[in-house]
Amino acid sequence: MSCALLAVGSPAERLLAQVRGDAPMVPAATIGPVTDAPTFSVLGLASLPDGSGNALSQRNDVWLGATQSVGRLGPVRFAALASGNVRVEDGFSNGPNAQGLLSLRARARVGENRLWSAVSYGRSAFNGNPSAGLYNEALMPSPRADGDVGMMTARSGAMANDTTVTRRVDAGQLARLEAGVVTTYAGMEFAVGMSFERATRVTTQTMTLDVPRVSMSVPSSAGEVINTASLRTMQRRDVATGIASVGFNTGQTQWLMSVTAPVASWVNNDALAPRAQSVPTVASLAVVQPITGWLSLVGAAATNPATLGGAMLRDELRDRHRSRLSPVVALGVRLSRLPWRDNDGTPTGILAFETRTLGVVDSASLERVDHGPDDNAMATRDTLRVVLLVDAPRAESVELMGDATQWTVTRMQRLTSGRWRAELKLPPGAHRVALRADGGAWIAPPGLPIGNDEFGSPVGLLIVRR
Amino acid sequence: MTLSTVWVLAAQLASATTPAGPTDTILVSQARAPASQTAVAQRELQAFDASRFDSLTATALRALFDDAAAAGLPVRPLVNRALEGAARRTTSERILRVVREHALALRDAKQALGERSTDDELEAGAIALRAGLDRRALELVRGSRTKAPVVVPLVVLTDLVRRGVPAATAQEAVAALGRAPRADDALLGLQATVAKNAQRGPGMAVDALHRYVKTVVVTSPDAATSTSSDRKPVRPPAP
Repeated sequence: MSCALLAVGSPAERLLAQVRGDAPMVPAATIGPVTDAPTFSVLGLASLPDGSGNALSQRNDVWLGATQSVGRLGPVRFAALASGNVRVEDGFSNGPNAQGLLSLRARARVGENRLWSAVSYGRSAFNGNPSAGLYNEALMPSPRADGDVGMMTARSGAMANDTTVTRRVDAGQLARLEAGVVTTYAGMEFAVGMSFERATRVTTQTMTLDVPRVSMSVPSSAGEVINTASLRTMQRRDVATGIASVGFNTGQTQWLMSVTAPVASWVNNDALAPRAQSVPTVASLAVVQPITGWLSLVGAAATNPATLGGAMLRDELRDRHRSRLSPVVALGVRLSRLPWRDNDGTPTGILAFETRTLGVVDSASLERVDHGPDDNAMATRDTLRVVLLVDAPRAESVELMGDATQWTVTRMQRLTSGRWRAELKLPPGAHRVALRADGGAWIAPPGLPIGNDEFGSPVGLLIVRR
Repeated sequence: MTLSTVWVLAAQLASATTPAGPTDTILVSQARAPASQTAVAQRELQAFDASRFDSLTATALRALFDDAAAAGLPVRPLVNRALEGAARRTTSERILRVVREHALALRDAKQALGERSTDDELEAGAIALRAGLDRRALELVRGSRTKAPVVVPLVVLTDLVRRGVPAATAQEAVAALGRAPRADDALLGLQATVAKNAQRGPGMAVDALHRYVKTVVVTSPDAATSTSSDRKPVRPPAP
């Protein structure tokens, strides 16, 4: 059967009808690893033209993502991440086209650095019928020069009506292990890591053949002879990938730039399977802009959809003219917590479990800094140097904003004792301040006097006395 | 757009959410130039980063600051409220309403605490008023400490009320500790004790307050009489 199919048709330049399983994922770090606080995100994804003229690779997806802290075991904190794609527009119009990824992530602080590790499992199911318009340029490939064989594809219309792919079903699975380290320098977070993933895909294609010698011919009710055949192929890709990213804030805006590059990859194909594309190096940029205390606008762009974020497998389009740039843009919102709260600022509702995150700040205190010989450089006659100390040994980051910082977000410095420190210049009096740990909700420093929450979020009062 | 038009727009925006009453003197005057500012107010205004607001809101805020300065009120607390609102991504209307209400609270605090009150005292008094305390409470605190600053007593009083202690009970405790030596330390110790116990419920906070006050008053050298406690004593503030 395989030989018969391969003998039909002319050499192909492109395999337009076979582009599957290349869901354009935004960088996973955009949504998940930034915080353990519960989040739910909805993004619209769009693939930009990549210059190949392949309309199938330009798709619109709806991306859903959620994170949820699931507790801790000693110093290790666990979080669950889930994400999924639902295809909005595609040349394959029928059937459910979706894929999802579940991850369990562990994080722990080791000295000044943080380690992270994650194990992920994903599934994809693409089930559809190619629309007729896709076959205008679809041609049959010839066996490749390196001895590898091409794959069967569609051909229709005025061209030779030899073979038509009437249905294709892809079922993919992915398993991934990743680990890395995060460190903070000059207010920026640098992360490096490695991942290893194995993706498999089983492709089942149903074809209509107009070749009389095919033995599977069956008469239809109209007496017409219809020749059909099914072809099931399996492919597997193992890839080791290096990850590097840097994140920083400008005001309340969060920026994340990341690069993922394949270190090594191994691809195994059945003879007639679509050839899996090697993973390209991908650069991405993500921006999270808070709009309110619980709603953020998320924008992201990547040079290629085949990021670490969950692409199962992507077919090779062309051998010699493989596109290395297939940009993807995303725009959406992130719901970080529900807007209604208790009197003490604790979120209520379905995300009430975030109280565990709020409790990460145990206490706060204010200490006076003794005047040194170079004190003139640090404080004026009207101001005093004070140090705000926060006990939050389980937190990975603590930030403050208040009168002392002109209400700009300022990172606190972690001490080896697990306390967090910020030196402030303040005149005597009462000064408002708010804290947050691990990007969670803003809270009043525990133990300090409470100020009014005119803007719906509690603040504390720092009392500075001469 | 003429200058007077800008001021009229600013006035409309400033009073958009809170109707102007006859007693509200902190209002943007319509179609007039900004009031003259003191050097202190000018310095405090330098902390106002207008780029965080849209132009109309920034103009309205400046007008509010000018009027506050002309009324002899501290401008810095108002600037901080505006910056906080911008940092929390709240609407312009809400920012203007909060700043305006706080300016009115500062004015009331000044009337209750006296013309000679410091800016810090006025700020603490305004916070207390906006937490639900009345002017009479501020006058009592001022009356109990005519010479010493009342920042700490007011802040502690506000914190106690916000943590569920009845206002009358809180006022009595603050007044009692205000007469103790090193009163500010004792008051801050009271605040810490109540804050710790308030996590277990308002009743526990009140109970801890009574025990703390009794302990501090009993252990103070000038205590007139000695009383005994059948409850576990609360540790007084560290020296």
